[in-house]
Amino acid sequence: MLNILVCVKQIPDVDLVKMDPETGNLVRAGVPTLTNPLDLNALEAAVRVKERFGGKITLITMGPPAAEETLRECLAVGGDEAVLITGRPFGGADTLSTSYTIVKAAEALGAFDLIFAGKETLDGATGQMASQLAERFDASQISCCFTIEDIADGKIRATRTLETGRETVEATLPCLITVEKDNFYGRLPNLKAYLEAKTAPITTFTENNLPGLDMQKIGVPGSGTIVPKIYPPELPEPGQMIRTGSVKTDVNRLVELLAEREAI
Amino acid sequence: MKKSDYKNMWVYIEHDGVTAEPVGLELCCELRRLCDTTGDKLYAVIIGDLPAAEQEKIIDCGIDGIIAVHGTGYDFLNTDAYANAFTVLSRKYNPSAIFVGGTIFGRDFAPRFAVQLDTGCTSDAMQLEYDPETGDIQFIEPAVGGKIMAVITVPVMRPQIGTIRPGTFKYAPTGKKPDLERIEEEINFDPAAIRVRPLGFEPDDNDPELDIANADCVVCVGNGLKDVEHLERYRTLAKLLGGKIGCTRPLYDRGILPYKLQIGQSGVMVKTKLYLSFGVSGAVNHTAGVDADVFVAVDKNPEAQIFNYCDYGIVGDMDEVCDELIAQLRARQA
Repeated sequence: MLNILVCVKQIPDVDLVKMDPETGNLVRAGVPTLTNPLDLNALEAAVRVKERFGGKITLITMGPPAAEETLRECLAVGGDEAVLITGRPFGGADTLSTSYTIVKAAEALGAFDLIFAGKETLDGATGQMASQLAERFDASQISCCFTIEDIADGKIRATRTLETGRETVEATLPCLITVEKDNFYGRLPNLKAYLEAKTAPITTFTENNLPGLDMQKIGVPGSGTIVPKIYPPELPEPGQMIRTGSVKTDVNRLVELLAEREAI
Repeated sequence: MKKSDYKNMWVYIEHDGVTAEPVGLELCCELRRLCDTTGDKLYAVIIGDLPAAEQEKIIDCGIDGIIAVHGTGYDFLNTDAYANAFTVLSRKYNPSAIFVGGTIFGRDFAPRFAVQLDTGCTSDAMQLEYDPETGDIQFIEPAVGGKIMAVITVPVMRPQIGTIRPGTFKYAPTGKKPDLERIEEEINFDPAAIRVRPLGFEPDDNDPELDIANADCVVCVGNGLKDVEHLERYRTLAKLLGGKIGCTRPLYDRGILPYKLQIGQSGVMVKTKLYLSFGVSGAVNHTAGVDADVFVAVDKNPEAQIFNYCDYGIVGDMDEVCDELIAQLRARQA
């Protein structure tokens, strides 16, 4: 039986995050959250592997207590267990310290054959977490996986998307996989699973009950990168706006201008 | 070791044994500029054999030296041997910064050796600056969906590692340096320990409609598009203009158009004579991927950021403007 880990993240709806013009800080208060969309594609891939090859799916996330919502959403789609890592000292972590923390928690749970993660998150968007998790799990890695062909004898055969085509690869287990969403659109939970997930138990790790945790490697102290400054993008001066009163005359003027510049 | 003891900057040159990926050359050109302000030397790191003519192109970008790595484990690109090579090299020479092109391979292996070296790694910077007070590189990039620009630094650890997307910086070689240093290194990685092996490769069909990077005209459709039924008119317009259709990220996310048509920093960078955007808000991540002689923007929101990037803007319903433009272009061509 395959022991499968799926890494998920609750993120703020980036479309609704605003910057406070006075302080220059991001205003996240009151902003709705969602499960990072690409994580749901990773979960879908994991569920298909479980259906075909058998296995157990453990979901893991790090975040504020409210990140439990994301775990319940994913449990409803197809997870057997869920783990939340939460606590103030974990806050402000970059990918270096987040990957350390997640792998520490995973080690406390056992050994995993397959680890699935989203290709990137919509909020941080570094796209680095998967590689750094793979390194810390001492796992092989198949990024941009398109199809999973076979899993047998401690190996996985899969296809992945490269810049110029599709490659078939064979990798040893444990293996970390990120998927192309085009082939792994997430399913919707059925009502029964949805209701069960609402009250399912969730294992919680904090800085106080994670075995062997090095406090210097988590949160801000463990981070390699910081964001000392954010600012609004400098915008160029607006272009020439065509406002002649109607669509017809606007377009007519545009065609004239484009013709003058020999662009059409 | 203090961070000021770490000196010089490296660029990894990804290649297939025949040609170097353009992003390596672009990075050498940009880092030449940065090293001229920091006083660091700039080295290109080449792993495996690369023809002399290709190496000349890299030298022409004004690098100070080449670190040429040979040994076992480099017959095909793989994260295990390549990440190991950088970890070994970095521990020996202690560079201040290592830059890797943000190809699929580069994005796979650079974050791994960052973990091995226990240091900070950034991705997708669009601008690189140097802060002489701290001695840190400022990796500047759009964040939170392009609404803000974020300055990212690696304040304590070294080396500073960055992956940079292809096409972010211009290939503008400043010419060969008179005395080029050449360092030869042998680093062997047991081929049996490589955990991912290629079994086969099938190149993509060369569908010309999906090759938009150098199209003369691009009609870009953004998230303002109501649904897929409304898309056909934009294809018609593109055809009338002898151009191709492209999109922004939300349209790919909505499953309406394929990834190869996604224009912007995380998709295709386009260089075109005429660019028409419909229903595109103008996030920095998107506009960074557009290099157009003439830029036309159509959107219903008069405050849309896209109007800051255009030459000509029309505020209105995207479908109506498109239909009218088709009608007038047809009348003109008749």
